[in-house]
Amino acid sequence: MTNNQTLKAYLLLLPGLLPIIAFMSLVVGMAVSQSIGFFNFSGADQFSIQSWREILSQDQFWRAFLYSARTATLSAILSVLLAYPIALWLRRPFPGSDLISAMIKAPILVHGLVAAFLFVNFISFQGFLNVALVNLGFTASPMRMQNDTYAIGVVILQVWKNMPFAFLIIVGSVRAIGDDILDAARGLGAGWLARLRRIILPLTLRSLQAALVLIFIVAAGDYSFQAVAGPTSVNSLAQFMVRTQADNGANGWNEAAVVAVMLMGLSLFGSLIVAGLTQLAVRRMRR
Amino acid sequence: MTLMANALAVERASLRYGTFQALIDVTFSVGEGQLVTLLGPSGCGKTTLLKAIAGFMPLDSGRIEISGRDMQGVPPEKRDTAMCFQSYALFPHLSVAENIAFGLRQRRIKSSDIASRVAAVAQQVGLSPQLEKLPGQLSGGQQQRVALARAMAVHPGVMLFDEPLSNLDLKLRDHVRIEIRALQREHGFTAVYVTHDQQEALAMSDLVIVMRNGMIEQMGPPEQIYRHPVNRFVADFVGTANIMPVDVLASDQKSGRYEVTCPFGKAIIHSATPPVGSRIYACWRPEDAMLTSEITEEENRFTFDISARTFLGSLCNLALSPRNGAAEAFFRIQTHGFTPVREGQTVDVVIPPDAIRFLEEVVA
Repeated sequence: MTNNQTLKAYLLLLPGLLPIIAFMSLVVGMAVSQSIGFFNFSGADQFSIQSWREILSQDQFWRAFLYSARTATLSAILSVLLAYPIALWLRRPFPGSDLISAMIKAPILVHGLVAAFLFVNFISFQGFLNVALVNLGFTASPMRMQNDTYAIGVVILQVWKNMPFAFLIIVGSVRAIGDDILDAARGLGAGWLARLRRIILPLTLRSLQAALVLIFIVAAGDYSFQAVAGPTSVNSLAQFMVRTQADNGANGWNEAAVVAVMLMGLSLFGSLIVAGLTQLAVRRMRR
Repeated sequence: MTLMANALAVERASLRYGTFQALIDVTFSVGEGQLVTLLGPSGCGKTTLLKAIAGFMPLDSGRIEISGRDMQGVPPEKRDTAMCFQSYALFPHLSVAENIAFGLRQRRIKSSDIASRVAAVAQQVGLSPQLEKLPGQLSGGQQQRVALARAMAVHPGVMLFDEPLSNLDLKLRDHVRIEIRALQREHGFTAVYVTHDQQEALAMSDLVIVMRNGMIEQMGPPEQIYRHPVNRFVADFVGTANIMPVDVLASDQKSGRYEVTCPFGKAIIHSATPPVGSRIYACWRPEDAMLTSEITEEENRFTFDISARTFLGSLCNLALSPRNGAAEAFFRIQTHGFTPVREGQTVDVVIPPDAIRFLEEVVA
């Protein structure tokens, strides 16, 4: 490409990229600024780390931080683990594969809050699941499953909602592997496990990485699933952020901004770890 | 029952895709160290047959033996074959060295042996300086050589080539073709080579198998396929042929001399095999005919008008129409070097009686 063509390409990208960069910078800049005392709603703008001190000293914050990190990690891994074999299975079209593919993507069309309410209704004390379990004789009386302490309900919802995204990302890369490549490996003596380990996994690792990062970020910032179906003893970071802003009067915005920065930090940190682990895996598989 | 002691034997192989019969009762065998070409137009079943030998497509009926072992139910990874694909099918995330070592690792060969074998094979195919590169950094010819080296490294009982040169340009194709043949002769590996390029088939093979519609039309050494085609399809597909209907007027089977009428007059045919009917097809190759200006009484001397002349440097193609009024008939001859004739000129052509072959009967 000549310099002129490169310049043209960047100019063409600009209308799309510019709002994204501007908006991102604005949000991140605002959050960071507010967390250190600027854009202050309660007094004069001045540099201060008082809000950071306040938030980082709270046990509830750290419990929310670890809770979000844990549910996000679990949701991302489970979503990808579920999506990957399905993507492999649907790699080559067969009668009915389009229908299955469409059904897998259906959760994308249902809003998270609606899904959370449906789920809570389904598992509630007098919900369909409990009634079915009692009537079928599996349990003597209804069980309490709603808002469980271990956030199993939240993870189920996260996986249900995010697995289609993982599937969409992974299925493209799986389908991009030519039959000839897999046949060549087979002809050279590679059984299905060797083909998976030495050919399919390395060639789809980038898409796994992308799926893990995206789901981690989405799940780490979850509010709706946690608010409706999450445990009552702990908040997610997003929930904690809203609560901090509402409960702390004039300083609420600054302290909520600290939580927001930590939430973005968690997303970044999680993404970096996933990227690093993927790089390591790629290098190991090349050997 | 064990088939002949061959590196590869295929017996009555049949395979169907839905309603399409891809292979019909295909039977042939390949001797140790032979290079056999499956030649035919697209859709004739040659790649299907190759994939059936590799185990990628199970046969509906019939059997395949490799080194005397029945391959029924044996998966591709357990067969003693290695395949070179038309698309090369290199593993894009592995270096050239790792691509070549792939099959050796699957066979759990010691690391030190793998390294020496990779180095040796890479040297044979001229890839030593490229070992650390990824396939995407190589040219088409180099990628083809990696595919060849990868297959050679595992010392397979039968090497399978699926149109390996079709993505290369003409010059490179000639070069790699010679390389493959030289390596095959040097290492003595048995090979089945699929191509639709008749020149490639004639140049490389010990045995050519011509296929059409899932069936074998003819098999034999290249010279036999070219000089003695059994039907119009083989005559026309392998090389260029003048094919014409003839009526047998007189025959002497003892001497093998036949008198026929053809679109440009009466002709004499010398043939060891008698015609299969009284009205049959016959063919002759363009290069067998000779232009003549001598005033002699020769057998099979005919007068034609030159309707087109194509000068190709070392060769000259002439399109001829007979002077006897059979205007729709059209024949080709090929002369060597510069031929000082022009379009519209009348020429005398001699077709040697033993250059004309009988083919199948004309069906009304």
